[in-house]
Amino acid sequence: MRTYELMFIIDPRVSDEEAEGLVAAYRKMIEEGGGTISKHEDWGKRRLAYPINKLNEGRYELFYVNCEEGSPLPEVERRMGQNEQVLRYLTVRTDQDRIPSPPEEEAESKAEGEAAVTGGAK
Amino acid sequence: MSANRKKVFYRRRKVCKFCVDKVNYIDYKDVKLLQQYILERAKILPRRISGTCARHQRQVQRAIKRARHLALLPFSSD
Repeated sequence: MRTYELMFIIDPRVSDEEAEGLVAAYRKMIEEGGGTISKHEDWGKRRLAYPINKLNEGRYELFYVNCEEGSPLPEVERRMGQNEQVLRYLTVRTDQDRIPSPPEEEAESKAEGEAAVTGGAK
Repeated sequence: MSANRKKVFYRRRKVCKFCVDKVNYIDYKDVKLLQQYILERAKILPRRISGTCARHQRQVQRAIKRARHLALLPFSSD
């Protein structure tokens, strides 16, 4: 089992109901593909840092997904790419990044030692 | 001698902030944090200025690039 974060931006001109429908559709796709969504964050409309398709804002949605390696996500990504109402999407695998935090004591102290060395050299 | 002294004067040791805080993962969603690591023109702050260690600089870089893709951070700005 792996954890992923899937963030995507929906066209702000899409109505609230339609956007919710879109989110529900993706959720369904993930769940039918054997994944679960442990958390869904709706960031609402946010100003974009640069215009995308001449739009200055977008509706941000974020899924925290648990699923087997890859399973439903490539398909979901493909669909998002085809859907013009989705301006951007990004899937990030998060398990690798976060799980090692407790057992990494050793590696960490080593990294610190290195940092101290470079700091001293400067 | 005075020149020599001057040299010694402003040598402050730079320490990687993330190492101090024992950060393991730099989140691309943490816009406030990442904003501290971009310059006015939206370039990534170099390590020689921020003092970030190589490992964490890599993580910062990755997070900024992810955030840029999602328009959380700009690629450029004037």
